[in-house]
Amino acid sequence: MQDLLFATLAIYVLGMISAIVLRRAAGRAAVAVFAALGSSMGAAAGVSVLVSGREVPLAPALSALHPQVQLQADPLGAVFLVLIGLVAVPAALYGFGYSKSYEGRYSLAALGVVLNALLLFLTLTVTATSPILFLFAWEGMTLAGFAAVLTEHDRQPTIRAATWYVAISHVGFLALVVMFLVLSGGDLSASFADIRTNAESLSPVALGAAFLLALAGFGAKAGIVPLHVWLPMAHPVAPSHISALLSGVVVKVAIYGFMRISLDLAGAGPAWWGGVALGIGAVSAIGGVLYALMQQDLKRLLAFSTVENVGIMLIAAGAAIVFRSYGLDELAILSIVACLYHALAHGVFKALLFLGAGSVLHATGSRDMEMFGGLSKRMPWTSAFFLLGAVAAAALPPLSGFASEWMVFQALLGGARIADPEGGAVMSVAAGALALAGGLAAACFVRAFGITFLGLPRSEESEVAHESPRSMRAGMGLLALGCIALGLLPSVIVPLLARAATGVEGRGAAVPSMQLGLALATPSGLSSFSPFALATMLLVAAAAIGLSIRMLQGPFRTRLSVTWGCGRFGQTSRMQYTATAFAEPLRRVFASVYRPLEDVSVDYHPDSKYFVYRITYASDLRQSFAAYFYHPLLLAVRIVAMRVRRLQSGSVHAYLLYVSLTVLLVLLVARVWH
Amino acid sequence: MDSLFSQLTALGSSLALVCSFMLLWRRSLDSFASAFTIQSIVVSAVTAVVGYFGNDSDLYYVAGLFLLLKAVLIPYVLRRTRRRIGALREDTPYVNTATSLLIGGLLVLLSYVVTRPLVVLSDLPTRSGIPLAMGIVFIGLFVIISRKKALTQIIGFLVLENGIALLAILGTYGIPLIVELGVFLDVLMGFWVMQVFLYQIDQTFDSIDVEQLNMLTEVTIRPADRVSGGGGA
Amino acid sequence: MTDYLLQLINVALVLAVSPALVGLIRWLKARMQNRRGAPIWQPYFELRKLFGKEVVVSDTASWVFRATPYIVFASTLAVALLVPLVRIPVPVALGSDLIVVVYLLLLGTFFLALAGLDTGSPFGGMGSSREMTVAALAEPTIALAIFSLAVGAGSTDLGRIVAETLNAPTTVAAPGHLLGFAALFIVMLAETGRLPVDNPSTHLELTMIHEAMILEYSGRYLALIEWASGMKLFIFLSLLANLYVPWGIATSNDPAGLAVGLLALLGKVVVLGCAIAALETRLAKLRLFRVPELLSVSFVLALLAVTSSFVVR
Repeated sequence: MQDLLFATLAIYVLGMISAIVLRRAAGRAAVAVFAALGSSMGAAAGVSVLVSGREVPLAPALSALHPQVQLQADPLGAVFLVLIGLVAVPAALYGFGYSKSYEGRYSLAALGVVLNALLLFLTLTVTATSPILFLFAWEGMTLAGFAAVLTEHDRQPTIRAATWYVAISHVGFLALVVMFLVLSGGDLSASFADIRTNAESLSPVALGAAFLLALAGFGAKAGIVPLHVWLPMAHPVAPSHISALLSGVVVKVAIYGFMRISLDLAGAGPAWWGGVALGIGAVSAIGGVLYALMQQDLKRLLAFSTVENVGIMLIAAGAAIVFRSYGLDELAILSIVACLYHALAHGVFKALLFLGAGSVLHATGSRDMEMFGGLSKRMPWTSAFFLLGAVAAAALPPLSGFASEWMVFQALLGGARIADPEGGAVMSVAAGALALAGGLAAACFVRAFGITFLGLPRSEESEVAHESPRSMRAGMGLLALGCIALGLLPSVIVPLLARAATGVEGRGAAVPSMQLGLALATPSGLSSFSPFALATMLLVAAAAIGLSIRMLQGPFRTRLSVTWGCGRFGQTSRMQYTATAFAEPLRRVFASVYRPLEDVSVDYHPDSKYFVYRITYASDLRQSFAAYFYHPLLLAVRIVAMRVRRLQSGSVHAYLLYVSLTVLLVLLVARVWH
Repeated sequence: MDSLFSQLTALGSSLALVCSFMLLWRRSLDSFASAFTIQSIVVSAVTAVVGYFGNDSDLYYVAGLFLLLKAVLIPYVLRRTRRRIGALREDTPYVNTATSLLIGGLLVLLSYVVTRPLVVLSDLPTRSGIPLAMGIVFIGLFVIISRKKALTQIIGFLVLENGIALLAILGTYGIPLIVELGVFLDVLMGFWVMQVFLYQIDQTFDSIDVEQLNMLTEVTIRPADRVSGGGGA
Repeated sequence: MTDYLLQLINVALVLAVSPALVGLIRWLKARMQNRRGAPIWQPYFELRKLFGKEVVVSDTASWVFRATPYIVFASTLAVALLVPLVRIPVPVALGSDLIVVVYLLLLGTFFLALAGLDTGSPFGGMGSSREMTVAALAEPTIALAIFSLAVGAGSTDLGRIVAETLNAPTTVAAPGHLLGFAALFIVMLAETGRLPVDNPSTHLELTMIHEAMILEYSGRYLALIEWASGMKLFIFLSLLANLYVPWGIATSNDPAGLAVGLLALLGKVVVLGCAIAALETRLAKLRLFRVPELLSVSFVLALLAVTSSFVVR
């Protein structure tokens, strides 16, 4: 068991080597097999840790190599090991078929190495036990992600996206380094256990600063508003199975980091930490889904929806901090469980949706929703899987998204027990924000599925679209099963997650009475619901209706006919509602958020303006964050850079002078320090 | 008995607050006038309730006077004025309706925060209405700030005054009758002066849109530069 | 076991009575507008007629279009099984949670909107786009109303909320309660497609939301959808009645109590139906872009309900 993780890491390395050595189908197969094998072994290790509920030192062979390399899985990290497995196995399988289209165009070897390296660093990140190791793995993950985003490196948007990604990630990295320096008192090689004890002696101001730095640093990777701008650029341009990993797992590992710091290492924080996280979470949730609604690029839409879901997780994590500061431990644990459950649920359904979008891209060569339509008849499997993911993403029962959102709601409703009315009011507003985000997400996914898969095809490419190969369908099928399982079996999974939550709480065996069995109940009896009974009810009811109609009224008499068109013949795809038109009412309702730029130009007949030759309408959304946050920032950086440029004299002597002055300065500082 | 008392006053205050929200939601000046009328009736009823439970017969007179002045006299004048000016609507306020409503909600939350020390310390059965009355005051102020028509602003002022009256009744069980009478007189005078101004504005500019007053600075504001109510509409 | 049986009878009740409710509202409206109006049981005839007719399906439509009527009907039935109508508590294993109820109804709306897009008709697209807009904007109000109810009862379990209000009768007149009722009433109008949000009796493309979405349905599919929307209306009204004015609801399986509970429920629903009919006679339909304003009114009411229920706590 302890060496399982060592084997996992070794397999990833094998995967990287085989990607370089083997060619074509053999290479693709080896990469997929090693990635799937490694991640499933990692997940097995995670499950065993969760079941035993203890911290397990992992890969002792590596520690023997160097005493600093201590890997360990506690229940919290184990949850994320499981998540990596849940998403990576189907993604690897899917990647086998999907990356075929990359043959000859881009380097398959690079893609294979990147996939396995990404998984390797992800695994290291969630099992690291010291800041230095964590930061090393974190940076490795960032760079692997960077390489993955750059796969299609000959396109301008890709390069732009990768630049933004790497820039914001490194600002975040800097914040994390400083944060660890503050928490550990300057010793990055201290273990997490040492940091825990050290944090107790820190002043509230230092801890608060560390918390904010953690929020910024991990938030940059998770894509919280306003640090999200890179995410909708970078996630869509990566190959789809890598997009699935980026959105499904990498973002969650940032949430892991945030929980590790704010709920574990930094000790019990004051209520305002939670308030800040709740606020940013609510803004991210609503902002993310609002922008998702307006996208025409299917994968970009999914990426914005990731921002929304990160917001929901942050709301839950923030609620946990608030509850803990008021001593409401049961509710804190419920919030943590809700956050973890949403991490799992979102990982699975978002990966499914990205793979579905990848299949559509594979079949039509486009990501533009205005080109799609009618794909459900041409790609029945893909459309069924995508629909399942869409229902889960819209948080509708009985699938996975609902189970987790229900728990988040219950946690927030528990806010009524906070003694201060302010605390309760904050929770109620957060519940309202969560509900708005949920409703908008439903609208967003009706649009994503309906415009893409239903109706008439809007382009030649969609007309001749084909179903994806078997390996891709298998990948999606596994994830679809995951959506169903996570939706129906929260009562099995929640007690395991509660162990992770109590581990974070650090209060031993205070596991709340999350009921086992079919129903899912909140602790202290807020409410309960049974997803299993619900699903059964739905199925039985649907079957009963079908049967009773058949019995009472006889078999179906169905006639196929054309869609009714007010007496007009010849339904064409241009008469359908487009993706833009679908979102138009919401765009008008939230115009003060979007601040749309509209441009209408009309060419009249030269003699009379009652005869119009053509009307051009262009519209774009103002990127408020870009306009008000990043542009001034970039301008400032540019001004500073222009100043600094004067140092660039071009003279070798001057450069030597800089170097020696720096060395001197460092020596002096070091002398004074000690 | 106390619980019924506090229920009734809280209920009355909430109703009065909902009436002031009507000012943010509706657009025609007639509906503003009727919202104000209903609010005045409710405030006067709350006064009577406080008088009954607080055994203060003076408050009945206050309630009666209040009813006469604010639910009969002022609405009558308001309607007459409106008829003279024509059918007017508050179609393009500075802040659009949906946003106004949300701001109104936030103002009420704010009034809960500011009156919290008072409510916590107080042991009056009427205390739960105090934040609501404060909310009415804030919303009245907001109406004055965000609306363009002078008549709307007058109604905003009257609603604000209703809020203050309600606050006085809930917070102190009513102030002495003589002071109350003085306040009524003040309100009447203020209202009268405003009416006169309103006629003057209407005569001079042929409109009661206070945006026209911008012309007095001699810098004409072109329509395109105006803050257009944003979205939401 | 009796509990479950009674809950199943609930479902039968909803199935049986909901068309009559629709008919009643239509008849009342006609009377108030000085028309004679069709008899109350007209919807039953319509349903029977529709069930007997052949189904015309657009050749553009996919399986989603065919599955949707079943999903909508089944989810509404499941809701009917979860809510307390005549007696409390609902059997525990079913989990009569308010949030589940709300999201189950949203599941139906979600699939109806998809079906609207499925035929490629511009009307369908328009209907689904508008329906989802209204549904999304109604969600926050619902959440806050649930919150205000949950503050009192300490639970989102419907049975417990009802029991809590029964135990403390004065809360019925509490401001939080009344404001919450007003907020949910507005949301009910929006969710069930009544005036002033949507006009259930028109097929004019510029004004319709729900009717545009289901324009392509015919025969037994249409019957299922019409029936389901009648059930949705009945469930919404009885929820409003039971959550805010729970008097009369049975608390045990005593037959007399159950009879009283049944009569009380029907009485309350009829009163609310009269209110709807009166409102629909008095009000004109709002422009689509004033609907968000109406929903923000309901949101503010719900927010006030939450804050005032914190204060009286």
